[in-house]
Amino acid sequence: MPEGLEMTAGKFTFRVPEDRLYTAEGIWVLSEVDRPSNRIRVGLTDYLQQHSGDVAFAFVKPSGARLSADETLAEVETIKTLLELPSPVAGTVVEVNPALNLTPEVINQDPYGEGWLATIEPTDWGADRAGLLGPREYLSHMQSQVQEELEKP
Amino acid sequence: MSKDQGRVVVVPCSGIGKPSGSVSREAAYELCESLRPQNTELVALSKLVLGDAATHETVARTPCVAIDGCQQMCASKMVKKSGGTVIHAVAVLDAFRRHRELKAEGIAELNDAGRKLARVMAQEMADTVDAIASAEAAKGESHA
Ligand code: SF4
Repeated sequence: MPEGLEMTAGKFTFRVPEDRLYTAEGIWVLSEVDRPSNRIRVGLTDYLQQHSGDVAFAFVKPSGARLSADETLAEVETIKTLLELPSPVAGTVVEVNPALNLTPEVINQDPYGEGWLATIEPTDWGADRAGLLGPREYLSHMQSQVQEELEKP
Repeated sequence: MSKDQGRVVVVPCSGIGKPSGSVSREAAYELCESLRPQNTELVALSKLVLGDAATHETVARTPCVAIDGCQQMCASKMVKKSGGTVIHAVAVLDAFRRHRELKAEGIAELNDAGRKLARVMAQEMADTVDAIASAEAAKGESHA
């Protein structure tokens, strides 16, 4: 488990690793573009997976699919809700996590590791990267979301 | 034949505040009160958690069907912790995966889909209960 930040609300603890970037919707983006693969790896944050409940199905756009930023990358259906997850970058899906087929619960069990959704080769990583949140920014965004939840009647 | 032969204890999780916890309990009521009252005994998870001696004893000597509302698997874990044997574990999530059209919503009152999912689960468990009863009956005959 990578080093990270965390927040606790009641009996829940939400982790935010510091080695990656985030979208406000709760998708993490781990850059591998400095490696020969030139890819990013994406998945659901700990907060998003805990808030959404046990995952029943996960459908990710297949490898080879070209996406613009914000186009739907994946649909994750949990026992509680259906999440439509936008792609954090424009690019081409390179690989989809094969574990999601038979054991989509891996998203709940290890959201920042084995529960990754896909790798994507970004078209313009430099530009898309500028629109993502750093770990501290995401933590504070998440804190506001948790606060809103707690204030709901 | 002892009075427990062919009977199973049914332990639903106590998920208050989650539709899947409500499905788990509804499925248990349907099984124990409507479908197979003669072969089942419903045990409240809270009695195990609170350490009720008679309930612990029942669970320890009777095969158990555990119904779990989520991956925390409170019912299965508590049966094992109480010295019981889970002969069949059922998860609401797995049932939903088989019946995607039946998405449970509502907590105090489940929606139609949630109630239907509970009935489907109860029917599947009834088949298991029947299989246990037949196996026990066959054992009884061979010992006669
Ligand atoms: S199994 Fe899940 S739904 Fe059921 S009591 Fe435990 S935490 Fe709640």
